[in-house]
Amino acid sequence: MQSDAPDVLDQEPAVPSSNDDESMAELRTLLLGPAEKQIAEVHERLTDPQRQLKEVSHVLPAAIRSRKDDELTDALAPTVTAALQQSVRKNPKPLADAIFPIIGPAIRKAIAAALSGMVQSLNQSMTYSLSIKGLQWRLEALRTGKSFAEVVLLKTLRYRVEQVFLIHKETGLLLHKASAAGIKVQDADMVSAMLTAIQDFVHDSFATPKDDELETLQVGELNVWIERGPLAVLAVVIRGNAPQDLRTLLQETLERIHLQFGQELSEFKGDSSLFEDTSPLLEDCLEAHYDTGQDAATRRRVTPLTIIVSLLVIGMLVWGFFWLRDKRRWDGYVERLRNEPGIVVTENGRRGGKRFLSGLRDPLARDPNVLMQEFEVNPNDVVSHWEPFQSLTPEFALLRARNLLRPPVTVNLSVKDGALEAEGFATHEWVMETRRAAHFLPGFAEIHDEKLLDLNRIQDPLLMFQMDRSDLVPGQDEKFNLLVGDIKRLQAIAVELKKNVRLEIFGHADGTGTDARNAALSEERARAIATALESNLPKWPNLTIHAVGSRERVKEEVTEADRATNRSVTFKVVATDVQ
Amino acid sequence: MIQKKICMLGSFAVGKTSLVRRFVESIYTDKYHTTVGVKIDKKTVKVGEQETTLLLWDLEGSETEHDLRKSYLRGASGYLLVADGTRKDTLYQVLSLQLRAEEALGPVPFLLLLNKSDLTDMWEIDERERAAIEQKNWKIINTSAKTGQGVEDAFLSLTEKMMEKHDG
Repeated sequence: MQSDAPDVLDQEPAVPSSNDDESMAELRTLLLGPAEKQIAEVHERLTDPQRQLKEVSHVLPAAIRSRKDDELTDALAPTVTAALQQSVRKNPKPLADAIFPIIGPAIRKAIAAALSGMVQSLNQSMTYSLSIKGLQWRLEALRTGKSFAEVVLLKTLRYRVEQVFLIHKETGLLLHKASAAGIKVQDADMVSAMLTAIQDFVHDSFATPKDDELETLQVGELNVWIERGPLAVLAVVIRGNAPQDLRTLLQETLERIHLQFGQELSEFKGDSSLFEDTSPLLEDCLEAHYDTGQDAATRRRVTPLTIIVSLLVIGMLVWGFFWLRDKRRWDGYVERLRNEPGIVVTENGRRGGKRFLSGLRDPLARDPNVLMQEFEVNPNDVVSHWEPFQSLTPEFALLRARNLLRPPVTVNLSVKDGALEAEGFATHEWVMETRRAAHFLPGFAEIHDEKLLDLNRIQDPLLMFQMDRSDLVPGQDEKFNLLVGDIKRLQAIAVELKKNVRLEIFGHADGTGTDARNAALSEERARAIATALESNLPKWPNLTIHAVGSRERVKEEVTEADRATNRSVTFKVVATDVQ
Repeated sequence: MIQKKICMLGSFAVGKTSLVRRFVESIYTDKYHTTVGVKIDKKTVKVGEQETTLLLWDLEGSETEHDLRKSYLRGASGYLLVADGTRKDTLYQVLSLQLRAEEALGPVPFLLLLNKSDLTDMWEIDERERAAIEQKNWKIINTSAKTGQGVEDAFLSLTEKMMEKHDG
């Protein structure tokens, strides 16, 4: 139909050239009568711009679609470009709003590629930072064997998004919010209004280029990140340092909100209930990363090597403990030996896995093996070699003297100024033996026995009596006085040694005369001496009297002198312990 | 829940802050005025069955329309103009602030509050001036921060006007 129209049009101007108008008109009516109406209609279609517009608009989309080559695209390109340019020049906002949902992802893709290159140089710059924290991290890197950059990332990638606010950009009214569990949000609507006011304040106060906006607020550990779209703003409160990925998540969330709630946002009149469906989107932003990097690092560190090293360390600690304990015991033992009388340690140490100990030991000294038990040293681990020797310390010299001299209980041996001192009373034989042996006792220059009483001084003297009488033969006074003196000494020593002494007096008679007479006589003689002694001694002596008559003779009677000897009194000293 | 942003405009010391202090919830102190230039308060009112939360942007007092931060007005559904009835100049200043606000916000509802109505002795605004303003179809409410007179009424009236527009 379109191709027919030009033909009709072409024919029309040729018609009025005839001069016989009337007949021509008639002819025309005859010829074209039925078609005249159609021609008029075609004419109208061609001259009325409104109709043309309508008709072209009907066929244009199909026409454009039917063109498969690039000719149309080429033809249109300059016009479209010019139109876009003009539109942007006039007012860039509508176009920017239109492409906002797609431009973000595109830019991020490009930037991500560029950033991955930058991270390396960032790491390097961190490497040269010399802050205290940097040094601490560096130490940690050395300790854990990680790269410094890795440690920095671990340290910085801990954060938690605590609150998310979706704010209407125009009014600053809160559209919806989400918060992490346990986080108390105070008056979110006022906070969001104030946040909007602060953004405006910053924008107005600091003359920045049009598109620069407040993106981050930082208060101690808390960061507020603000992400803007054409109609809404997303503000999140983050504790800790969030990675840039979070910013991407916020951008994506905001884009999706714009896509899904575009109409509600642009027609917002204060009814925030329309935005309740944004909950899942907002909650997705509540990310939390608690030290997970660190945990992962810890897990990663548990390798067979670390187990072996740990076991070795534990083993060394245990070994060290026992080593230290044994050493302390050994040292204590050796020190004890050094201080032990009669023992001289000349060498000690370790040889062939065993401890050895050598030195001199007086046979009288304590047994080193007994001491070993005292210090919990295992005797099987010790090889000891002791050379016997005689210690000349007073203690050992005395001990040796006692062993050698075997003093009776009535004698006390002690050391005084390097000399052996003997006190008490003993038999004549012991006294004589001691005096002789003292010269050979090692460790003593001499023996002092001034305080040692030879009992023979009391037991030896014979007090002789006149025949058949209980009167002493004259001239024995000196002998008696000496006896009295010795008994006094004996009494004094007995007190000192805490002994009881008893003096036994034996009365004797010679073989002449009857036994009865002799018994009576000997008793009389003993009593006479006992009486004489008692009257001469200041302290009453413990006396017993034995009348032995002529049964126990001092001497066998051969001569008269022997008989005179038997007419006498003899003494015996008996010592017992004080009860 | 419907929320509306409203602004309070007026010169220094006309009593804007005292006017709202007793009637609103706030988590911010007055020092925000001097730092950020605005303080946000909240007031919930009930018109009919509808509860509405008003987010009140109490703007720092401005002498002239040039001091007014236009960005703080953005998105407001209505505003309260506050003048000090004992200082006639504050009324003139409020008239120019209104022009500025209308320029930024378009024909949104607003009210004129003549504050300090308890100080009748010192009142400077006479009936003639009041009539002239009412001629412009403005609604005027006398308020007193001291006695509380007119304050609730002001918030309610403004909310009603805004809701008419909201529903319409």
